[in-house]
Amino acid sequence: MRTFALALIGIALAAAVLTVRALGPDPGRASSHREAPLIAEDPSADTTDLYAFRSLDAPDHLTVIANWIPAEDPAAGPNWYRFSERARYAINIDRSGDGKPDVSYRFRFRNREGALFLGNTVQDYTVTRVAGGKETLVASGVTPPNNIGPRTTPNYRQLAAGAVTNLVGGGKVFAGQREDAFFGDIGAIFDLVAIRKGTGNMGGGKDFFAGYAVHGIALQIPISQLDDSDHTVGVWATTERPRMRIRQYRRHGIRRFHQKREWVQVSRLGNPLVNEVIIPTKLKDRWNALSPSKDAQFEQYYREPILAAVINQLYGLGVPEKNRDDLVAVLLTGVPGLNSTGPKLADMLRINLSIPPTATPNRLGVLAGDTAGFPNGRRLEDDVIDIAERAVAGKLKGHPAGDLLGDGVDGNDVPSLMSFPYENDPPSGFDNTKGQQKP
Amino acid sequence: MRRLLLAGAVAAIAATALLAGGALRQGDEAAAAPTTRQLVRLGLRELDAARRTGAPSHYSRSEAALEQALARSPEDVEALVGLASLEASRHRFRESLVLARRAQRLSPETAVTSAAVGDALVELGRYAEAFRAFDRFAEVKPGLAAYSRISYARELLGRTGPAIEAMRLAVDAAGDQGEPAAWTYTQLGKLSFSRGRLGAAAAEYRHALAALPGYVHALDALARVEAARGRLRRAIELERRAVEQAPLPQFVGALGDLYRADGRPGLARDQYRLVAAIDRLYAANGVATDLELALFNVDHGVRLRESLARARLAQQARPSIEADGVLAWALARNGRCGEARRFSQRALRLGTIDAGKFFQRGMIERCLGHRAEARRWFRRALRTNLHFSLRWAPVAKRALR
Repeated sequence: MRTFALALIGIALAAAVLTVRALGPDPGRASSHREAPLIAEDPSADTTDLYAFRSLDAPDHLTVIANWIPAEDPAAGPNWYRFSERARYAINIDRSGDGKPDVSYRFRFRNREGALFLGNTVQDYTVTRVAGGKETLVASGVTPPNNIGPRTTPNYRQLAAGAVTNLVGGGKVFAGQREDAFFGDIGAIFDLVAIRKGTGNMGGGKDFFAGYAVHGIALQIPISQLDDSDHTVGVWATTERPRMRIRQYRRHGIRRFHQKREWVQVSRLGNPLVNEVIIPTKLKDRWNALSPSKDAQFEQYYREPILAAVINQLYGLGVPEKNRDDLVAVLLTGVPGLNSTGPKLADMLRINLSIPPTATPNRLGVLAGDTAGFPNGRRLEDDVIDIAERAVAGKLKGHPAGDLLGDGVDGNDVPSLMSFPYENDPPSGFDNTKGQQKP
Repeated sequence: MRRLLLAGAVAAIAATALLAGGALRQGDEAAAAPTTRQLVRLGLRELDAARRTGAPSHYSRSEAALEQALARSPEDVEALVGLASLEASRHRFRESLVLARRAQRLSPETAVTSAAVGDALVELGRYAEAFRAFDRFAEVKPGLAAYSRISYARELLGRTGPAIEAMRLAVDAAGDQGEPAAWTYTQLGKLSFSRGRLGAAAAEYRHALAALPGYVHALDALARVEAARGRLRRAIELERRAVEQAPLPQFVGALGDLYRADGRPGLARDQYRLVAAIDRLYAANGVATDLELALFNVDHGVRLRESLARARLAQQARPSIEADGVLAWALARNGRCGEARRFSQRALRLGTIDAGKFFQRGMIERCLGHRAEARRWFRRALRTNLHFSLRWAPVAKRALR
């Protein structure tokens, strides 16, 4: 009787609406209404960042890094993040400037069954190079396990270094958990874009991404395989998932699917922040499904970015809101005299392979006269939030507001590695930086 | 998340700037009202919390936030989809469909609007349209949300194997973490259970509990497996854990059934009375629970005539095969077996493989004096899932003796 009374009080306190959600064949309690998550995020298909650069230790190679699975918190419960087994990941390179891939590197992952259920985060993977309609297996690699802590995964640096694999025909690949090299004060941006100090060019921001990890794929490709007379290539990353229809009962095995029609592209990333800042919500699904060669239809959103109007509303800076040829050039065609690929509009991360890396990089890249950084490729240390805000504010048009803006976070909390795969080892759950140390 | 965070941030900037730009410039940040985007995010988070915990207050909070967002921006697609989803949670499927359709008209290329439309159509029994909507959704945005809907459609069509295949893709997309993983593993387990495969089902439920310890829907489902294996005490323990965390009526009713099977009718009665109390809370809060309550009462042999009236109303409001099945069962238990048979045929019209509905059909045929037919349906029920119901599987077995 007490159980009954207590439970009733509990419900009365909770006081309102419960919903019947069970499903199942038991007539004693069936309710067929099954609530599947509707606005489900798809982290293992979500490309967070893309980088392309030449590095001092390997100047004759192009390094491309793409990250997936945002905001992995190594300390929040089981640290079981993995690449999806059923998705197909790709890094695409356009050499001709038409916005279509001339060379693609495709990645497929496979879980290992371990003695510990779910505990085994090591994955086997293959790298397939697709060029001229031909597919070649160029590497079979193994990811390191996720960084759990010094007991479970000791000597993590060594573990990760051991996972670097050579590509057939030259170059290297690495895939696995990494420290998120992205940095920015998202917390303040959410608080009504409350930049913590002034307009943001004075520091004082808080790096929201410190202490979080992602899953990264890093590729190092000999420039000799990519270069040609105009020296500039365009890079973008994509994620595809298998196509499925209710009445087509195909077996969706892990290693099947070769034909294009069996895949749907669900995510792509060329230039940073475009999906977030430029493309309107109503068109995001379409944009993510397309190849950069189809980007002309989105030109107006680059030419009249909503962020410019916003900056004017917030700060009354009078930045240009229309006819932004400068942004179209940076994001869709390349900057003339730097990394232009011709008139074709295509959102790709363009890099002129003839520009050597510098020992003294500037976080503002080309805006600060450092042509080895964004938007000529993108290095791990390039401050793309500040660059985006300043570029939108008209820096390239000589507008004075172009020097003022920023989020007050000027660099990553963790230094990059000096050599491949450059993005640093992930923080371990044991070394969690977000909790509070008790005396 | 990055995408969501930043997109949210930018939209927040946009809306804020337009509304509160002046105030901000004067440094009066505290006076700024929440933006549409912030309200939508809050509403969706509350809806998610309701899904996770079953705690009712989340629904009201979700509704308040989403209504406020919509009042501010009547054409906000995310707010509309959120409200459509909320209405579906409250079994108001016609209202849900209206909202989802409005979202779809405003943003035809946003895949999730197709899913919201399909969700409502399924519960309204408009399967051809619903399945077209799900296919369209999966065509644009395959992922957890799409694969799980494909799986459900296949299950309704009686294709358990392909349904499992689709749900496995959903499990993969859920990525072994948190509620999405727990939910997909649990659904996968239920598909196995529906065909009587206890071991496979239990393994998936354990995966769900590993991904999200204490996940109530997995505890409840695991309790059914334990009961099917004859381990009633263990089943009671699991079901009690589920009820303590989330007193959902189907959990409470199941606990009652377990006590009853364990020879403790007093405790069972307490639970059954609790189910009735919960239903009054529902009604007080405007949730449509006619169908669920009618089924519970008919199953437990109480208030049969009243329940038949409720089942009729529910079947008119949401004429899904599920409602057809409940009405058929209510008619049968009221001795109106001819009409019951017609609704049973409707309930099985998609070819769904559902041992419970097969059993009910057997009872209807027996009531009509069709003894051979009845035996055929009882056999079919038990062949589909020997453990389909703690209460009714033994009845089917006795009838075949």
